[in-house]
Amino acid sequence: MTLNDTITPDGEHVPAVRVPHARRMSRLLPGRIDQLAPVIMLVVLTAAFSMLNDQFMTADNWRTIANQAAIPMVLAVGLTFVILTGSIDLSAEGVMASTSICVSLMLANSLNSNDLGLVAVAGGIAIGAVFGLVNGLLYTRLRLPSLIVTLGTWFIGLGIASYVFPDQQPVVRDRSFRSWALGEWFGVSRLVTIAVLVVVAGAVLLRYTRIGRHVYGIGGAEDLMRLAGIRVDTYKTLAFVIAGALAGLAGLMATAQLGVGNANAGADRLFPALSAVVLGGTHLAGGRGGVLQSVLGVLVLVVLGNGMILSGVGPYVQQAVVGAVIIVAVVATGWGARDRLRVVK
Amino acid sequence: MSPVNISRRKGASQRLDIGGYLPAVLLVVLVGLVVARDPAFLGVASLRSVAVQAAPILLLAVGLTPVILLGGIDLSVAALTSLCSVLLVSWANQAGITGVAGVVALATAAGAVVGVVHSVAQVPSFIVTLGALGLYSGLSLEASDATNTPLAEGSPAISWVNDYFAGIPAGFVFGLIVLAIVGLMVRFLPWGRYLYAMGSAEPAALMSGVPKIRVRAAAFALTGMTSAMAAIVLVGRTSFGSPTLASGLLLPAIAAVVVGGTAISGGVGGVGRTLVGVLTVTVVQIGMVVIGIDPVLQNVIFGAVIIVAVALTIDRAKLSVIK
Repeated sequence: MTLNDTITPDGEHVPAVRVPHARRMSRLLPGRIDQLAPVIMLVVLTAAFSMLNDQFMTADNWRTIANQAAIPMVLAVGLTFVILTGSIDLSAEGVMASTSICVSLMLANSLNSNDLGLVAVAGGIAIGAVFGLVNGLLYTRLRLPSLIVTLGTWFIGLGIASYVFPDQQPVVRDRSFRSWALGEWFGVSRLVTIAVLVVVAGAVLLRYTRIGRHVYGIGGAEDLMRLAGIRVDTYKTLAFVIAGALAGLAGLMATAQLGVGNANAGADRLFPALSAVVLGGTHLAGGRGGVLQSVLGVLVLVVLGNGMILSGVGPYVQQAVVGAVIIVAVVATGWGARDRLRVVK
Repeated sequence: MSPVNISRRKGASQRLDIGGYLPAVLLVVLVGLVVARDPAFLGVASLRSVAVQAAPILLLAVGLTPVILLGGIDLSVAALTSLCSVLLVSWANQAGITGVAGVVALATAAGAVVGVVHSVAQVPSFIVTLGALGLYSGLSLEASDATNTPLAEGSPAISWVNDYFAGIPAGFVFGLIVLAIVGLMVRFLPWGRYLYAMGSAEPAALMSGVPKIRVRAAAFALTGMTSAMAAIVLVGRTSFGSPTLASGLLLPAIAAVVVGGTAISGGVGGVGRTLVGVLTVTVVQIGMVVIGIDPVLQNVIFGAVIIVAVALTIDRAKLSVIK
């Protein structure tokens, strides 16, 4: 990157050196295609599945979809913050495992006499935030790639969960805690309300606050942000703390659903959430995208899974289809932005 | 890479870099720690178990090294290995050595396709291989109906991995041969030079006419090939194929490459370093059992060792902005 490079208002980084190329036109003309793509996918999938199956377009099924989307959405919002800065956070599954075990032992449970209620809930989110803080500090202070740091804390989180895990699985006996998953508001699980609040808070934070502007700025051109005197490391760490706290919250939500403290509470949650963020149109290189895009990405994945189940597609084929869809979607949306000298790692 | 180098702690980072030998020093220290606790660790039986354990990680990590030198990542290697294990068992049972060769060819082609998609469509390798990870695991679950399939008794095309060559487990020797070949390719072929050029300054490499699509396709094809080879070694050891056979190997393999001193951001490192990394990861895994660390703490220690090892060995002077 050189000083002659420019940053567009979208935070897209445009290298100064570029061979003139016909394809540049396609970048200028539609412009918003990569933001419209997830909407188009969602509409097409919904239309296709409602034609294939009578049960798809029912209120009951949309309630199911909303319930299934709640936890992935919370994870995806947190990941969006980190990915917008251009980093990555792989630790979510470990964080969820740790929170699930620790919180179930702090709430009224089958194994000890604790009954901390809301304190336990706050504790769960705090555990996640501490994981995020550790990630952020290791990443910014030791100057290690975030991929490696969070790979390490993923393992550490799983390890802490199995270390704290008692001989038996703790069964959560706190009724008001469980009612968050079992009780309903507006016809759907209360977890959906939590997810919506998280999405709104995330979107507001990114759109209207200094934190949000700096997160986009760091993803767009970190070195320029540094030269401008912005405390880049602080904001990077903050992004990890947000992601960690939300992974902790997701761990709480999973525990409320399962009713037990489970070291597998986060199992197979990370890659779908990452896929959703990317499908939504947030760039892994940072600087472009947002929370609302990630919401669309989550919905595309959940609708795809739900529709295939209703159409009688086996779960294994489903996994393969989702993998293929991710590749095709990202190739299709990025096709117009190709450029001979574009560097994509 | 960047004329605007704003790494504030450049001095500190240069002090840490003692000629790239730090990973090897770390390995010796770790072995020393384990031996101090249990001198029998350097016995034949124990070293053989290290070699057996290391063989599949070695093959995966060797294949991953060129991709990481390019600055990319391949998250699909372990899923491809599992898929290959399922195919291997059924094809080797039916067609023997031809079936085994077929699986290797197929995996190589799959890797090449991933590389071409990644570089022609200019989609980050992280995403393409994340999608491929889902695709491969779905396919292997479907192909095997989510069960373990046993290998027929005495499939010579696979069972050779359990033999010994000069007292060393043949699977590990196989890994070393592949490592040597890939090492020579990286060292002497133009392709190898291109890997470093693209990994450290891709715009400059492209300006000077490096055929980026071919270079990337070859790197990912190699990763596919070594995934199939890792499947051969795993199937030989366990004598069955399973859709989750290799699922625990992705992180150790990436960790091995990086702990060996190949920078995750590309352009720095090499295949020889990967051997050190593979041995480090394996010694940590086996050493924890030998020392008698509570098994539930092993994940914590493994995670911490990855972070510490990379913190000590990464060459920050060559990285301008760390993501």
